[in-house]
Amino acid sequence: MEKKLSKKALLKSFHNWYYGHLTCFSQEHMQTFGYLCAMLPLVEELYDDEDKKAEAMNTYTAFFNTEPQLGTVVVGITAGLEEARANDEDGVNDETINGLRAGLMGPVAGIGDSLVVGTVIPILLGIALGMSTGGSPLGAIFYIIVWNLFAYFGMKFLYFKGYQLGGKAVEFLVGAQGEAIRDSVSVLGGMVIGAVAATWVSVKTSFVLYNDAGEAYLKLQDKFDEVLPGSLTAAFVMLCWFLMAKKKLSPVKVMLLLVVVAFVGVLVGFFDPGLAY
Amino acid sequence: MTISWLQAALLALFACLSSMPGLGGSSIGNYTLGRPLVGGLVCGIILGDIPTGIMVGCAMQVIYIALVTPGGTVSADVRAVSYIGIPLAMVAISSYGLDASSAEGTALATSFGAMVGTLGTVLFYGTATINLLWQHIGWKAVEKREYKKLYLVDMGLPWISHLICSFLPTLVMCKLGANVVELIKTALPMDGIAMKTLFTVGSLLPCVGIAILLKQIVKKATDFIPFFFGFVLASSMGVNLVGATIIAAMFAVMNYKIKMLQIAKPAAATGTFDDDEEEI
Repeated sequence: MEKKLSKKALLKSFHNWYYGHLTCFSQEHMQTFGYLCAMLPLVEELYDDEDKKAEAMNTYTAFFNTEPQLGTVVVGITAGLEEARANDEDGVNDETINGLRAGLMGPVAGIGDSLVVGTVIPILLGIALGMSTGGSPLGAIFYIIVWNLFAYFGMKFLYFKGYQLGGKAVEFLVGAQGEAIRDSVSVLGGMVIGAVAATWVSVKTSFVLYNDAGEAYLKLQDKFDEVLPGSLTAAFVMLCWFLMAKKKLSPVKVMLLLVVVAFVGVLVGFFDPGLAY
Repeated sequence: MTISWLQAALLALFACLSSMPGLGGSSIGNYTLGRPLVGGLVCGIILGDIPTGIMVGCAMQVIYIALVTPGGTVSADVRAVSYIGIPLAMVAISSYGLDASSAEGTALATSFGAMVGTLGTVLFYGTATINLLWQHIGWKAVEKREYKKLYLVDMGLPWISHLICSFLPTLVMCKLGANVVELIKTALPMDGIAMKTLFTVGSLLPCVGIAILLKQIVKKATDFIPFFFGFVLASSMGVNLVGATIIAAMFAVMNYKIKMLQIAKPAAATGTFDDDEEEI
């Protein structure tokens, strides 16, 4: 008789992954234990024989790490594959399952990091920041609700799509339509981030030149703002981008460099936060 | 503003839930409770000053708006930023008598947050290292085929890692940090060069956060245009963030339709070609 995973086992597997993918993280095994916990309910339902159970579980002791939200699709795909293996389907074994997992975790991590962490979350946070003016909790509440609904139902969708469609499920991620969606979302992300930068980041210079009569004849900040309001802020963002993207400096190094820039800037009078008691 | 042991313990509990290999799971923990904006709300509720909490959280959120942890390498630890950095910045702001929504207030908050966040990476590597112990137990369980034990290993035992690397550091830092803030205040006067530098750093740091995001988005020079378009919308035209998002969504939809047309076009072209052949 053909074995079929019950909805209950699949849901348990999904919830184990949803909660536990990173709880026992180490640099050495990363999400491996989360994966084992996600597969356990499925393996227990599919196999009665202890040896077969052990064989199946051993498959998932192989190293696994990817972007966990989007990576749910991989767990769903292996759920389908494990079911196929339990039905003795041809060509589904240890090697095919782990080959697929190893092959997918890289690209899925790349797309997931830039799509989920690099675009969706910043857009939601950008909107939330806009709703937080004056210390209003509205923005934070908006973010909590929208992000969690998106994450839970999005991951559930991915899990079951992966289970139903198998390898085909990733095609919509890496295929032409997926590419078009990602490109459009990054346009959206770029614009929102630009607006966040202009609203929440403010780099100002206090550099002023005085004439003999003691009147200020050059206020550098005003000159910058005549070119484009906030142009000094934009210039500093570009500088940081240049250092990280082109000079390959780590964010921490760039931050340390900014400490030096700030110190020198304060000394020469370029920066003055205008503090007073 | 002072922090009691109970308040510090509550903050420490949230630190356990929110960190990167965290006990809340990454969706609820790291990506919700760990975000400084949400952390600001939680700290505001615990310390009894929601507006200040939110303002401090917002200021720090800009630096960490795109905290990507590729391959498990972190440049800042969210539990430290959100549950040590924010409470201490709130204490500092009230002790210096600043307004949290002023430029000085946000500058102080951001420099505090970045400092604590960078030092906090120690906590991240600490937690991950202690987890190796539990994973060792896990491998033994797999060998002995005691699979039920995996749940304990994955979801139970890491609480101990967090007790050591999240709960205790947060508890101690929040409780004693408030005194340190007072010390710094007397040692470093506001109009001195050190504080001026600190505040200036605070205003520069968010540029790094934005730049990290740009690094993700920008693949070629023209990718900068959406960013500057959004920038000009807010800086020159005074559109707020929600408005800017709606305008951006319009452009994203247009971009998607154009892209899909490009995909559909070659297919349609071959289609007509086939038809012609049949006629012949």
